[in-house]
Amino acid sequence: MNELIAAALESAKAAGATYADARIVDSSLEEINVAGGVVEGVEHSDSFGIGVRAIANGAWGFASTREVTPDAVVRIAREAVAIARASALVAAAPVVLSPLEPSRGVWSSRLDIDPFAVSLENKLALLAAADDVLRAQPEVTITKAHMGFKRQRIWFGSTEGALTEQSITESGAGIVAYAVADGEVVSRSYPNSHGGGWQQAGWEYIASLDLVGNAPRVAEQAAALLTAPYLEPGTRDLIIDGSQVGLQVHESVGHPTELDRVLGDEAAFAGTSFVRLEDVGTLRYGSEHMTVTSDATVPGSLGGFAWDDEGVPAQRDYLVRDGILVGLQSSRESAPAIGRTSNGCMRADGWNRIPLVRMTTVSLEPGTWDFDALVADTDGGVYIETNNSWSIDDRRLNFQFACEIGWEIKNGELGRMVKSPNYTGITPQFWASCDAVCSRDFWQVWGLANCGKGEPMQVAHVAHGASPARFRDVQVGVGRS
Amino acid sequence: MMSPEQARELARAAVVMMPADEAEALVAAEHSALTRFANNRITQNVAEHNALVSVRAVLGRRVGVASTNRLDDASLRAACEAAVRAARIAPEDPSFPGLPGPHRVETPDRTFAATRAFDAEARARVAGAIIEQSSERGLTAAGKVRAAEHTLAVANSLGVDVGMALTGAQATVLSMGSGSGSGWASFLDADAAKLAPEALGGVAADLAERSAEPGALDPGSYTVVLGPEAVADVLDFLAYVAFSAKAVVEERSFMSGRAGDRVMSELVSIADDALATHAMGTTFDYEGQPRHRVPLVERGVVGLPVTDSYWAAKLGRKNTGHALPAPNSYGPMPLNIELAAGDATLDELIGSVTRGVYVTRFHYVNVEDPVSVLLTGMTRDGTFLIENGCLAAPLKNLRFTQSAVEALAGCKGITRDRSFVGTEESAVFAPALLLSSFAFTGQTA
Repeated sequence: MNELIAAALESAKAAGATYADARIVDSSLEEINVAGGVVEGVEHSDSFGIGVRAIANGAWGFASTREVTPDAVVRIAREAVAIARASALVAAAPVVLSPLEPSRGVWSSRLDIDPFAVSLENKLALLAAADDVLRAQPEVTITKAHMGFKRQRIWFGSTEGALTEQSITESGAGIVAYAVADGEVVSRSYPNSHGGGWQQAGWEYIASLDLVGNAPRVAEQAAALLTAPYLEPGTRDLIIDGSQVGLQVHESVGHPTELDRVLGDEAAFAGTSFVRLEDVGTLRYGSEHMTVTSDATVPGSLGGFAWDDEGVPAQRDYLVRDGILVGLQSSRESAPAIGRTSNGCMRADGWNRIPLVRMTTVSLEPGTWDFDALVADTDGGVYIETNNSWSIDDRRLNFQFACEIGWEIKNGELGRMVKSPNYTGITPQFWASCDAVCSRDFWQVWGLANCGKGEPMQVAHVAHGASPARFRDVQVGVGRS
Repeated sequence: MMSPEQARELARAAVVMMPADEAEALVAAEHSALTRFANNRITQNVAEHNALVSVRAVLGRRVGVASTNRLDDASLRAACEAAVRAARIAPEDPSFPGLPGPHRVETPDRTFAATRAFDAEARARVAGAIIEQSSERGLTAAGKVRAAEHTLAVANSLGVDVGMALTGAQATVLSMGSGSGSGWASFLDADAAKLAPEALGGVAADLAERSAEPGALDPGSYTVVLGPEAVADVLDFLAYVAFSAKAVVEERSFMSGRAGDRVMSELVSIADDALATHAMGTTFDYEGQPRHRVPLVERGVVGLPVTDSYWAAKLGRKNTGHALPAPNSYGPMPLNIELAAGDATLDELIGSVTRGVYVTRFHYVNVEDPVSVLLTGMTRDGTFLIENGCLAAPLKNLRFTQSAVEALAGCKGITRDRSFVGTEESAVFAPALLLSSFAFTGQTA
């Protein structure tokens, strides 16, 4: 592969590129879905190709092809340069990249048991067993159990001398029970909604989830939700579970602190950000209990790598420290806007996409609270778990989330179950209302395999470390009166 | 770029390779290019050449699927073997009816030379012309100019053998001013020659200027006029959560048990129609079956949902030709949705409102309840207070939490003009609507 990358880079230089990089990506995916006792799909898919990114006349061009041959890589490099020249027709100042020592090396994500070596029989047997348990609950009429495995090999080189090879294996699984009655659908998921749990790991991660052991609780809660009331509209103290805190971090901290959004480069599609360049170091983003990091070095996390997709080494960086905005996620092109070098957040969704500023593992750092103590310290509140729906405005200020389940808290104890509890708020005010975060004992990294951004659309695999946290006086029960 | 004939030949070759009782191959080839701009300059400019072969193996009532974008014989054979391996292990699905047989499919030419010739330089010139409409007024433009060619072919061992090519050209523009104002305009057509960049950029810039210094509005239910982009979002979610036979059978849809009932205004007729002369998508589905026109809601009355071969057989109904690529856990899906035109102009709809809200488009809409299609999302890029039949003042972006079904029950007017929104492969053809009540539940400060 290195010879093909070298040929592409030489071709780009010969065509007039002042900088070029090339990525060859070879990916395999296995997906297995069981629903209602039937195998809905067993699929294996492969994708292989090369993408070349070039700067010519001070502007960017990118071209990609599934043909990874000596002739094709030369052709695609020339096309990337020609596109860059066209970009220069409507350009501003020439693109300048922040300095970088060329990276060289080989890296693999950690795994104990290769999931692609585990037999399909074993995988189907586990899913079928979990699905059987879900279906044993009479009120549960729709069930889903799924697994997915992804392996990517990425070869990267640049005209500056970078040459790296990475191999990343991901495993994920989950179950969902739907109870349906009288025109109403409620759902309960484990270990998380929207694709279950995901890690950079092997089969050992799937085994650790104990899908079958958790299925009875999931099914029983789905059934109970049918007769549970909605949360009354009003203002309540909320304790939010780690998975939903993770998504809250994703939407209201992760995306608004992407430097390309702050600079306006994503304005037309994903939107911009309420954060301004001059806010770094001064903006009070939330309470003193809020510290958020961007960390591509977290072992086993979906946001992990050794080098990002422009060859910048993985880093741990602070975005918010004790409630103050202190950093942004950046690229080599954007980082100079805040007087820094790239903190390694450029990631691409395969060989046919350019890298964009994407989250790695963006986490709310743990606090000091014990979960039971936090509940005991709360009166007249609600504890909610597992995302059901999410929405946020184009500047990442006005959000509304719905969860699958909640329990009212009275006199420091969890009480009556409520269904589909939703809440809404404005980002800085909401984070300012955070007065307690649970400790590392309750902190875990939640993989999120469906983060969309960019045009053409790219889906990133990111992660969020989070533990349950409390937020005061939050508006709940929106549209449920 | 692979022609339909070449794609069919490749699909047939893959079918022959498959050591299974029944075999199907789907070939999807694409050459696409997209120029993105922001801050009045081109920021990203990309091109992709790809082709994918997806094979489905059937052993009795067991099914396996594999796909690859390596098109040499050895790789295709490996994909076929992977699909057969999966099928051998999969438990039998007693409801699987076998692969569908061949039916006559019309394959009109939906490609345009101007779109094929829409290269990087041409896209740059169009981007420049769009940007100029904003930059010369002191505004900032962002958006995209895109061109794509697609070829889709399906063959199976029962004799299905169809192929078709289509093209799509798209442009969007967001124009932003310094006073929190922003405006939006978009274009989607199979023919790039119809794109008028100056006019498109002008529409967005006009809206941006009109929406500067927006004001507040108290939460509550208001009469609304939704522009075509906003209507398309609502229709997209109806298609996603409600119009599939699977959703109806599983009682997750407002259509479940309601066929023949009036649930929306009699002004509302929604159909999926890939055969319409203005449609842009393929006329066959991902099983190679002809797509039929399906009236989903007719004058406010619930019709029947779309099907594919699996759900048609399971329900004993006609296959409407709405299969997604296998394996498909979503069920059949309409990809050529349109809401029937009315007889009003946009000015007439706005002119009929004493006090209400005009919405250009929504942002980040999501479903809170699938049965009532309870949606939440934000407005953006041109939200206005309507007073006495006029756009009286720009508004800050509003959050809504509203059942789409209930909103369409209160439809009081529909425009004659409709616009395509989405992509050429799954475009929504939407008019503007006047709705008597729409619940706004919050506002960005």
